[in-house]
Amino acid sequence: MERDIGKPLFNLFLLIASASAFVAASALPNIEIPGDLSAAFFPKLLSGLVFILAIPCLIKDLQEWRRAGSEGSKAAAVNPVRGIAQWCFAIVLLVAYIYAFERLGYIASTALFTFFCVMGLALISGAWSTLSAAQKGLSLLFALVFSVVLAGAIFYVFTDLFQIPLPT
Amino acid sequence: MISGYLDGLGMVLQLSTLLAIAGGTLLGIVMGSLPGLTSAMAIALLLPVTFGMPPVAGIGMLLGALCGAGASGSIPAILLNIPGTPSSVATTFDGFPMAQKGEAGRALGLAIVASFFGGVASMVILSLLAPPIAEFALRFGPAEYFSLSIFGLVIIASVAGKSLIKGLIAGIIGFFISTIGTDPITGVDRFTFNELSLLTGVNLLPALIGLFAVAQVLKDTFEYDPSERMQESTHRIDIARPRFIETLRHWKAVVIGVVSGSVVGPIPGAGGSIASLVAYDQTRRFSRTPEKFGKGHASGIVSVESANNALLGGALIPTLALGIPGEAATAVLLGGLMIQGITPGPLLFADQSGTVYGIFLAYLMANIFMLLIMCLGIKLFIRVLMVPRKQLLAAILVFCFIGVYGVDGDVFNLYLMLGFGVLGYFLNRYNFGTAPVILGLILGPIAEANLRRGLQSFQGDWTPFFTRPISVAFLVVAFGLLALTLWQNYRSNQQRTPADEGSA
Repeated sequence: MERDIGKPLFNLFLLIASASAFVAASALPNIEIPGDLSAAFFPKLLSGLVFILAIPCLIKDLQEWRRAGSEGSKAAAVNPVRGIAQWCFAIVLLVAYIYAFERLGYIASTALFTFFCVMGLALISGAWSTLSAAQKGLSLLFALVFSVVLAGAIFYVFTDLFQIPLPT
Repeated sequence: MISGYLDGLGMVLQLSTLLAIAGGTLLGIVMGSLPGLTSAMAIALLLPVTFGMPPVAGIGMLLGALCGAGASGSIPAILLNIPGTPSSVATTFDGFPMAQKGEAGRALGLAIVASFFGGVASMVILSLLAPPIAEFALRFGPAEYFSLSIFGLVIIASVAGKSLIKGLIAGIIGFFISTIGTDPITGVDRFTFNELSLLTGVNLLPALIGLFAVAQVLKDTFEYDPSERMQESTHRIDIARPRFIETLRHWKAVVIGVVSGSVVGPIPGAGGSIASLVAYDQTRRFSRTPEKFGKGHASGIVSVESANNALLGGALIPTLALGIPGEAATAVLLGGLMIQGITPGPLLFADQSGTVYGIFLAYLMANIFMLLIMCLGIKLFIRVLMVPRKQLLAAILVFCFIGVYGVDGDVFNLYLMLGFGVLGYFLNRYNFGTAPVILGLILGPIAEANLRRGLQSFQGDWTPFFTRPISVAFLVVAFGLLALTLWQNYRSNQQRTPADEGSA
């Protein structure tokens, strides 16, 4: 069994989020219409249900986590440190892309995003360090050309063929 | 019905519509060929492209993608022993051994024709069964619609996640998210946090793309390992010759596949892997030479592939007739229909019969295009397996961005898409599943609106929801199945515990 603290932590997050949602739903204005339910009825019911159902999940996942610790956990299929680094890099890059999308315009932000995504993954995954100097140069050139061509091709397809306006 | 078909034929037989269906099929084949990329992701990415299209062209494109992805999962399954989609797991049983014997072209030819037969047969079943079901559903009032929504949500939530409770939590999360926005009856703003973009509720498109495309890309990014390069297939194939005569010689396997797909398809949450495994098992059971299965037997490939594509027609029956999708891909398709302004359900058949029959015919055309494109482009699709992963991930993310931004030019939707992507990543990682969230998002407003409308018309009385025969039937079946699943889980846990103790 793979020992993953994320499982109980995610259930804990669900408990906290559902409790917060219940409190927020309870604060919604109560406008009474004869024969109708209040606007807060479903949000309160649903957040309450998530809270109740998340409790047994949390208990079960905590038990599994403790059991995996005592039995000795199986090695993860993916290098977890590298996986988390790649995942966090992708999230940061996506937030930066959204931020730059309207400020820099579609073509510049997309070309930059694509270039950094390809190069960043190569660097973090360790693929870059295995390349020779000549291969690094070629790889860099390929990433540059790919980024510009992809951004340009998609811009043409969406703006000219599908008539979807993109920020410039 | 005939006038409906004629209207539909007029909509389908237009160059733009045919091109849209062919384009969707091509993209579906490419996505289905790549292990890890799902058919739901393919249609989520195509959704924004369909906005400006007439409904039949747009839905035809999405159906083409589903049809193509359903068939092309067999390519890596046969050539590399890696199923391209979950439903092609059983294709590896006989497809890969046949390829190892040097008959990869034959295996692909059989798989393509069986997929075609399965798709066409399921289209016939769909067009025969969906209209009477929709006609029956015309009797539904608010109580029945509320119960039907709860039925769909409970059933898919109980089978979509790896645990019953986790599936239910995912469905309820989707339902809760659907309550965000201005309450249509009282006008109260619910959880909008003064964000104008949330006043009309959570936009379905960022949710769909986030949960099915961004979440998958985040998973692939986490697991990205440059040392794990896709092994190149050693089989050299220029063109896959369709094996019509040989496939027809295995007609029993085709029939079993079509029946399995058509029966499993409408069951919410059952999915393609179950249909194909059932078809494979039944074909082997009825075969005079069961010992040949697993060693490259043609019947094994034919039954599985015909079941895979027959599944889609079956899943479309409740999607179109009742507005209840059969599994994740049809849930995204349902979102696509709603974005196109088409509300699936009985009124669709009564008010827009031309569109409905146009959709049936578009599905037929998608199968024809699938056959042609797969046969002619097989060499290209084998090369697709070798596309560098990091470039592919970056390109998919760019498509997601353009798609979501292109709807209304609102940057807030991009943040929403990212949020759903992160949520979907964790829901998948911890076995909750994302299909119930989408079901909750789609069925939640239907359930809430009909419950409240019903209560108003019954003067606040709840009893009609539990006394009207159709309404109570849905509720009894839903909660009966829920109780049965709980009981089965309890029994299997009880049996596992003594076994664990014995082995300790």
